[in-house]
Formats: sequence, structure tokens, C-alpha cells
Amino acid sequence: MPKFNIESKEERTFDAIVIGSGMSGGWAAKEFAENGLKTLILERGRDVKHNVDYPTTNLQPWELPHRGAITQDLRVENPIASKCYNFTEDSHQFLVKDKEQPYIQNKPFDWIRGYQTGGKSLLWARQTQRMSDFDFEGPLRDGFAVDWPIRYKDIAPWYSYVEKFIGISGNYDGIPELPDGEFLPSMGLNCTEEHFSNVVANKYNDARHVISGRCAHITESREIFNKQGRAQCQNRDLCRRGCPFGGYFSSNSSTIPWALRTGNATLKNNSVVHSVIYDDKKEKATGVLVIDAETKETTEYFAPIIFVNASAFNSNLILLNSKSERFPNGLGNDNGLMGKYIAFHNYRAKISAEYEGNLDKFTTGRRPTGSYIPRFRNLHKQETDFLRGYAAGFGASRKINEDTSGIGKDLMDGMVNPTFGNWRVGSHMMGETIPKKESSVRLDLENLDQFGIPQLKISLDYDENDEKMIKDYFNEFTEMFEAAGFTNIKTHDTHQAPGLDIHEMGGIRMGSDPKTSLLNKWNQLHSCKNVYVTDGACMTSTSTQNPSLTYMALTARACNHAIKELKKS
Amino acid sequence: MQRRLVLKNLGLITGGILILPSCNFSEEMATIALNKLQITKNKEVLLTDIIDTMLPEDTILGGKSVGVHNFVWIIMDDCAKKEDQESFVNGLDLFQLKIKKTHNNSFSKLSPNEKESSISTILENKNEDKDLIDFLTTTKNIAIWGYKNSEYYMTEIMPYSLVPGTFSNCETINNTLKINTNA
Repeated sequence: MPKFNIESKEERTFDAIVIGSGMSGGWAAKEFAENGLKTLILERGRDVKHNVDYPTTNLQPWELPHRGAITQDLRVENPIASKCYNFTEDSHQFLVKDKEQPYIQNKPFDWIRGYQTGGKSLLWARQTQRMSDFDFEGPLRDGFAVDWPIRYKDIAPWYSYVEKFIGISGNYDGIPELPDGEFLPSMGLNCTEEHFSNVVANKYNDARHVISGRCAHITESREIFNKQGRAQCQNRDLCRRGCPFGGYFSSNSSTIPWALRTGNATLKNNSVVHSVIYDDKKEKATGVLVIDAETKETTEYFAPIIFVNASAFNSNLILLNSKSERFPNGLGNDNGLMGKYIAFHNYRAKISAEYEGNLDKFTTGRRPTGSYIPRFRNLHKQETDFLRGYAAGFGASRKINEDTSGIGKDLMDGMVNPTFGNWRVGSHMMGETIPKKESSVRLDLENLDQFGIPQLKISLDYDENDEKMIKDYFNEFTEMFEAAGFTNIKTHDTHQAPGLDIHEMGGIRMGSDPKTSLLNKWNQLHSCKNVYVTDGACMTSTSTQNPSLTYMALTARACNHAIKELKKS
Repeated sequence: MQRRLVLKNLGLITGGILILPSCNFSEEMATIALNKLQITKNKEVLLTDIIDTMLPEDTILGGKSVGVHNFVWIIMDDCAKKEDQESFVNGLDLFQLKIKKTHNNSFSKLSPNEKESSISTILENKNEDKDLIDFLTTTKNIAIWGYKNSEYYMTEIMPYSLVPGTFSNCETINNTLKINTNA
């Protein structure tokens, strides 16, 4: 039962409540606060203030006692989190430890979470590509999931809106399947990536592209970045520590302080949302029930607009756990499809090789991005025996050889006098997976977490489509690598469980028909319109693009809609 | 003295880790503060000597001067699995015995050349005890890692910039210039 609160109900009433302060929640907070709405931001984790709470950001490599390695104790305590590439000595403080929130793996799933102000926006890989109508029309054309209720033209202005604020580095490549955005100067390709790009363009008559990775880094000064207190990326490539320059976009460096500076937003940390409160008489959601992570006391907060941005699976968890007479199976879950049609990105496949050209060239510094190959498979028509396709990352770097075979003087000489080797090239696949009914998250009513909230039961796996896609990626990339004269080509299937892509999506999908979807084209629950879901949970299909930019654009768009609706009433 | 050594050696072969802590009262402990490993001064000195042999000081500072031996202990103490810690300490003891056996002397008494060749000989002999080989290989690998990530190496030998401010996608190699792996 809610405690008798010191704060009056009036003090606990806002114009808008945003659940989550990460990538999308930060945007909702910014939009509402900027538009004069009294906004409550609920964050289940601790506060992480830009710069103030980046304890490792200015450490030299030798100042890390284990030079970046994780201790054995930490590894043993965190068999899941420690699989994440960002679980390192200088950044593990931003990842949720396994015991903090247990969950049931019906099938192996590595759930990587970040509970603090800013959520996972501190740790993301910062790659930002727009989706196109090749993606929005995908389910309809290929007969899976449901049709997206929006098209590219609906979201394009919001992509621009978000991009101008966060700063995206990239080239105007003029590729219809990967629409251009509002770009700052790109980070560019190095000479071996350029070579690969040219070979691929020629071989496939410009139907395949190797382009400079589009990423959320400031590469040129703009007044809007100055206003946020963010400076140009200094190419430290230490983003996971939190960036003292605000060189890459995180909610911490950008949207959250922006929202707070308006004076309209309140950030409440350690606020675990138990459920959204639905008033059967008023026939709408009236607020949220929050558990204090430290005291375990519960408090109700109220607002006419509720944005659920708790991260894909947690948004599912909260709404499934929001039960009322009207919604016994979870808020807005009339069709019983909430928590179903989950999908992710298939990151299992990698390919590496060497290149014996450009031997008089090398690179310097630490470019904090790579190059990118947009989806080319099944793009204009179905051409393989699997649905959809994959994008890929690609990178080349000059190998530096150190002869460390000996000991003594030989070893010292080897370390001090390195020589250039061949170029090392590598690529990783980012495959679209098909949302299916059996791919689901559900509540486990038997197993509760430390807050008495049901644990999540996750059932997600690869299927035949994914296996075929991996094979195709290996074949196509081997062909492309061979064409570029790369040698010593090695393919590698990591067989990692879903999850480490950190691109889980769906469960509360958008669609036009309330019978087959949960959210309408404005990200409102069909049957409870003052609740919006604009994080990964809303995704009807996954496309191959890194999804954060789309979450942010959908959020800004939905906020705009919610504000208009509020003004109407 | 001889009797004690024999007893100790027996202990090592049959699971030295279990027995050694009970001997601690009689042996001077290492100066480095560790959390899990219990290391005697004798072992600490020996590892330092091995590091000094693997990464000797010449025109530039060696592994010992930049504290690589301490780094090896810290990594083994904090980041290694229990079984690897046991194997490591056992390997170190086996190394001591092996040197005694082959040189009829302790490692510290050998000449620099003898020290280097004794380690190389063991590393090249695939029939050696696995713990012994693993000990030397692990020590070498962590030593290289530690040396290359030491303040000295990253400021004096291969200068690293925490805030480079720039990067270059394509430079032409100038063979007269030394390569900086951290540039």
C-alpha cells in the first residue's frame, strides 16, 4: 500500500511523467520541459551527473590498477553482464550487476542493462542511421509482423529535429535505403576502407555501399551544442567512461540537463516503477506507482500524460504488471499480444582478413567509429530463401608487429622497435530478425525481484532465417573480400545468445489495427491513449539500422503529439 | 635445513598451497599487499628477478624499474581464477627447484646470461611440467602487457595521448621515423 506521503497529492501531480532517463526518456523529458510542462522523470538507478559522476574519465591507462581488466570476483558475480564488451575496469559502473535484477532465461538471453541517469546512453556504440521505407514497408511486403502505421515521410522531419540537436557526423551518401540526415563532417574512411568501398561499388554496379559510419559525435562547432555545454569530439575513443567534452551524445550530457535547466523538470532517482495506475472510472491512466529502491517505500505520482521509456523489456514488464479491472492482463493488453513479437539484431557473424596493399600507408589516432555497409540483400525484391537482410560494420587498421618471441634484450628490442605488418580488415553482421509470436517476454508470478515485482521470463532464439542469413553474409563477404584482394579470410560464428547486440525490440508494437498491435501511429496505447511507449518496445520490425536514433525521433514526434492533444483538451 | 627443504618440496608436489600457509609464521612475508595470494618474501624476490631477466634494463628502463613484477602479482591476485593462481604459485616453486637441480644454485646467484638461458631452455622444452611452463608464459605475457601499459612506456617510449584531439585516416610511412604504437 502507498505510504501516507509527506508530499501532498498536489505536489505529486505533474503535467507529464516520463519513466526512464535513457536515450528516449531523456528526449521526452527535454520536449515536455521545454514546452512548459511540469515534468517528472523517474529513473530507477542512481544519479550520474555529466562529468561529476564519470570517475574514470580522466584516468591514464596506467592509472587503472588492472589496466582495464575485470577482477575475477566481479566476473564470477556477473556471468551475464561481464559478457558485454563494455564491462571493463573503467566502465562496469554503468552496467547493471546480475544480482540486482534476476530474470528467467527460458532460452539463453544476455540482458544488458544500465540503470542510472542516462541509462545505456552512456554506453552505446553511437551509430546512428535513419530507417527508410525499405524498412517501414518491409513487414507489409514480406508478410511478417504487421504493417508499420507510419512511413518514412512521417518520421523524416523528426529525424532532422533530433539530429540537429544531438550532432551526427556523416556523409551525404545519397543512398535511398539509408536516407541522408543533418550531418556534421564525417570521420571518413581510411585508405584501405576506401579501397574496399571502390571495389565493392564497381563489382556490384553501385548497388552495394561502403560508407563512413554515421555516428552521434560532434565534429564541428554549432551554437546548439555550445548551448548544451558540449564540445567537439576529441577522438579519445574512451566514450564508455562518459565524455568530459560531451563529444558524443548521451542523455547525461544533453537532454537531461537541458530539461532540468528549464526549471520544469524534476528528476527522481532510485525510483523503480512498479506499474502504471489505471482509473477504471475515468477510463485512463492517472499516474504511476513507484518503489523507492533504497527504502522500498511506495509512492504514487500523477499526470495526465505518461511516457514509458524504461528500455524495451522493462517497458513490457511495467505495462504487463499494470493490472486493473479493465486490463487484467496488463495495461492496454486487450489482444493478449503484449510481450510478444520480440526481435533483436543478429550479431553472431564476423569475418576477418588481411590486405597486403597500401603498404606505404598507415593511420594515426583513435577514430571513434568505423565504416558501414547498408543492407543490400532482398532490398528491391526477394532474392534469397530467407527474409530481409543485414547491414554490416567494416573496419581496417594497419597491423603493427612486435617480436615478443624471445626474452631479455630480444624482447625489449621487439617491444621498442615494432614494424608495420599487413592491414587487418574485419566486418561484423547486423542482421534483421523476424518478430514472432513465440518470441516473448512474460511475467513470472512465482519469482519476484527484491521489490516484489514479477521477474521477466525471456524466450527468444535464433531461427532458420537467421542461420541462412549468417551463411549468406559469410558467402557474400567472402566474395567481396576476395574481390578486394584480401587474404587469409576467416569467418567466425560466435554462437552468442541473443542479447549482447543490446538491440532487443518489440513486445508493445506499433500498428494500425488494435486487434494486432498495441500502439497506434503516435505511440499511444490503442486502448489507453494517455500512455505512450517510445522506446525499443514500440518497434514493429527491427530493420538493420542501429535503433537509438529512431527511438529518439519517435519520442520527439510522440511528445509533440501529446502536447498538442493536451492543449486541445 | 636440508630436511626442511625436502619437506617443503614434498608439500609442493602434493598440493603446496594447502601446506604452505601453515609455514608462514616461519617465513618472511612479501612486502606487496595482496588480497588472496599469500606470498613469501622469497617468492616475491624470485619473481622480481625473473622479470628483471625477461625485461632487463639497458639504455631504457627495464621491467623491474617500472614495477612490472608488482603488476604481475596484482593481476594474478585479483584477475586470475583460483586454479590458475594455484598453478602459478606451484609453477614458481617448481621453477625454483628446477634451477636448484640444473644449476646447483639459486636463481639469484646465477649470472645474467645463465638466468636468461635457464628461462629460455625451460620455455623451449615442451616436456616440462605444465605448471612450470604456464608460470613462465603467464609471467611473460603479463609482464609485456604491464610494461607496455606502464607510465614510463606510455610517456617515454610510445607516447600516448589521453586527449589526442585529432586522428588521421591516411598517412604515408616515413621509414626514418620510429613507429609509435600509441600514436
